[in-house]
Amino acid sequence: MLNRRKFLQLGAGAAVGSAAAIMPGTVLASECGKISWDESADVIVLGSGFAGLSAALHAKRQGLGSVLVLEKMQVIGGNSAINGGWLAIPRNPIQLSQGVTDDSPADLVNDQVIAGRGMANKAILENIANRAMDVYDLCIDSGVVFREGFNIQVGGQNKPRAIRVKHGVGGDITTKLYEAGVNEGIEYRLQHYIEDFVMDNGEIIGLKVRQNYRFPDAKTGKSIFIKANKAVVIATGGFARNMELRNAVDPSLDPTLDCTNALGATGEVTLTAMAHGALPVHMNMIQTGHWGSPDEGGFGWSVALLSISWHEGIAVSVLNGKRFMDERADRKTCSDAIMKNRYKDNSPAYPIVFFNHDDHIGDDRVVRSLRDKMAWKVDSLEQMAEQFNVPLADLKKTVAEHNKNVITRNDPDFNRKMDTAVELKAPFVVSRVWPKVHYCMGGLKTDVGCRVVDGRSMKPIKKMYAVGEVTGGIHGVTRLSSTSCLECLASGIIVAETIKSEVKG
Amino acid sequence: MKTYILTLLLGLIVSGSAFAGELESVKGSTQGRTNHQFLYEEGCKSCHQGSGKTSATDSACVECHGDINSIELDESKLVFSEANPHKSIHYNKGASCLACHAEHEKKAPVCAECHRTWFEVM
Repeated sequence: MLNRRKFLQLGAGAAVGSAAAIMPGTVLASECGKISWDESADVIVLGSGFAGLSAALHAKRQGLGSVLVLEKMQVIGGNSAINGGWLAIPRNPIQLSQGVTDDSPADLVNDQVIAGRGMANKAILENIANRAMDVYDLCIDSGVVFREGFNIQVGGQNKPRAIRVKHGVGGDITTKLYEAGVNEGIEYRLQHYIEDFVMDNGEIIGLKVRQNYRFPDAKTGKSIFIKANKAVVIATGGFARNMELRNAVDPSLDPTLDCTNALGATGEVTLTAMAHGALPVHMNMIQTGHWGSPDEGGFGWSVALLSISWHEGIAVSVLNGKRFMDERADRKTCSDAIMKNRYKDNSPAYPIVFFNHDDHIGDDRVVRSLRDKMAWKVDSLEQMAEQFNVPLADLKKTVAEHNKNVITRNDPDFNRKMDTAVELKAPFVVSRVWPKVHYCMGGLKTDVGCRVVDGRSMKPIKKMYAVGEVTGGIHGVTRLSSTSCLECLASGIIVAETIKSEVKG
Repeated sequence: MKTYILTLLLGLIVSGSAFAGELESVKGSTQGRTNHQFLYEEGCKSCHQGSGKTSATDSACVECHGDINSIELDESKLVFSEANPHKSIHYNKGASCLACHAEHEKKAPVCAECHRTWFEVM
């Protein structure tokens, strides 16, 4: 495959011309309508997260020929490698062993359609959910280990069906799928950035790729052209790290909001596909979580720590030492309330959340948070006031009032449900909160076979496919926890079948 | 090749560091690692294919040091045993050397993007 230089006479010179117009400084030989291909592959997969790794593996197993995976970052795995490793599988063996025998793919889809609030794509969700056990088998066959006996009910789902990988990170899956792919002859390359698609008469025929690229500097490396014989599968993930794009589609997402995603979630290929006619949908549907901490990167420990704090502790504004919300309200309500905490210059006044240290001695959620300095143990309210710059008298008054409410099981200020509330006594575990952007429900419109739809014709673009978070319109308004991993892995299976059927046809 | 490895071992003993080696000025304003001094004597092409203007790839590192899983770390310096960047539960074999190491400047490893207190700039 290396250095196979082929010359291709393009049917439509206009395609090359338009590609050149988008990219200043292009090295395309547009004058003569010829492209000098540096290499070729039968199937080229863009991105190496759950979706890309699954698509590549199944393309190889479908006998589609040479498979090349291009990843722009210096690690394999994309955002999936740092995700939480939760996977929704109706009828998984752990669920059945727990005696939950009335779940089904249709039941999962029903939950997703409700969460999508009329904006989800039921046909695609069904197609994915019906492959859930194939996804489970794929993981087991690849050597993925799930937590023994662990299968729980997560937000917005009516049955316990979420299992979790041993280490609680998606890397448990991405490393195994990558190593399986290497063994089966798939070629993976890091630091390959997609500069543009090469189109011919509405068909994608190859890619202009920046080789030896170093994120985020677009000038690094050099451009080469890679011909795609059978398919280009776009699996480049979301764009939650692209601040300009994020702000363009949803200006309500404050620039002070950090992001749970890997740094590479910047969505350039989404934009490139759009420039060639791919239809973007639901771009402004971006999921945030109110459970972030400004004192750690990524998703972090904060969510697990706050699963204690919201119940057994209180959230207090550092500006006035007072509570400001029902700590157990939904993520949107809490996000809005938290983000109102601002200093005069509008910079974030990160609220503090705390609970009793001695009620959770040895609890891993606490131990690791203290060890990694995203939470702190304080021995008194005086120390807390000093360390986080909170007015002490107000803080003391707030705690005393809360402790009275714990006894009466009534919260007159915010009407919080007080059944799990605990009387607060030093020492405390304190952390800071600020919402984080988490997931893009929007992206490229695809059909049930993962074909990318051209917005001008509403027909699939030939040989162009998309899987995973880069797609849009599948989940609608809210994507439920543990369903993205399922979607990505299942779509990789489905897209390989689609390509196979089209190559045959 | 054999001389490379010998010199490398010697370099480690002299610098007293099992890690990337200290930065020092090697040529003009260019900095490099003390344990790579012998490479600089042979010129940029020891690591950079073509010329020094082309970014080096992992092959430059792997030739002498071996691949990621075969390079042993001093595990006593890890925050805990699973926080081993050469046996990462996020990336394992799927990480470029360059994700964490830089030759001519100090660099924070990719892990530090999230795990802010686990690793130092090298």
